[in-house]
Amino acid sequence: MGSAATPFGALALAAAAAAAVLLLHHLIVRPKLGPGTRLKLLLGLAVFPFVAAVATTGSGMQRTTEREFCGSCHVMETHLSDLEDPNSLSLASRHGRNQQMGPHACYTCHADYGMLGYPLTKLTGMMHVYNYYLGGYRKMPLEEFHKEVRVAKPYPNTNCQQCHSGTLSSFANVRDHLGVLEELKANKVSCASAGCHGVAHRFSKRPEEL
Amino acid sequence: MMKRLLRILVRWPTERALLFACVLGLIALALMAAGVLLATPLPVVASMSVAQGIGVLACLLFGLSVAAEVAQRNPER
Repeated sequence: MGSAATPFGALALAAAAAAAVLLLHHLIVRPKLGPGTRLKLLLGLAVFPFVAAVATTGSGMQRTTEREFCGSCHVMETHLSDLEDPNSLSLASRHGRNQQMGPHACYTCHADYGMLGYPLTKLTGMMHVYNYYLGGYRKMPLEEFHKEVRVAKPYPNTNCQQCHSGTLSSFANVRDHLGVLEELKANKVSCASAGCHGVAHRFSKRPEEL
Repeated sequence: MMKRLLRILVRWPTERALLFACVLGLIALALMAAGVLLATPLPVVASMSVAQGIGVLACLLFGLSVAAEVAQRNPER
């Protein structure tokens, strides 16, 4: 049942239900305007809806970080099924199996690092919604989507470095890393590129990109 | 400016505005609930934007109606 089982979701539904009861009572009974009615309307039109709005925002923000949410658009179905495939060896799936990422695997990797990472990622998400419903992605066949659509900007290596800091010997002792250290810092070479750790979502790439 | 506002408030249809506010409030609450229950992109986005806008409008109507009631009770002030 969506996000109803989460604390924010349950609070939002409870507050909305309480407000709805008060408003329906006013609409059906139409009591005379007195202090009691005014108090009921204050609760039904201001206090409970405010609680519901805050809880809905919390629930919505939480929901937008879940991988089922990302996979709910048809163009992301193959991304989600690859992520959930226990036999897949793709970079994304191997990371998705990590318990630390768990249900938030898409968000963990795709949310930008830094102080403004959270709001900027949400804004980019709004662009995805716009592109899907108004930009034509909704009617686009999956094969065409895989062929034509790419991430809006090159995947930043700093996102990988949220977990793989690059300061330990397991990173520093690898010759291939040392050879491209400056390029990695400047994001001229991607960790998730052919010849390095491979692209994250292989099935969505043209042969020449692999 | 204040005089114009007072003139509007004195003629404000309090009862009808409150009924309209209740209807708007119910629409806003339904959208918020849909965002939580369906939890797919469009309802979630609507619950965090359109629903809250409609809710604020309903709340403003209620506030104006309370102010109108006070103004109508003491029109000479």
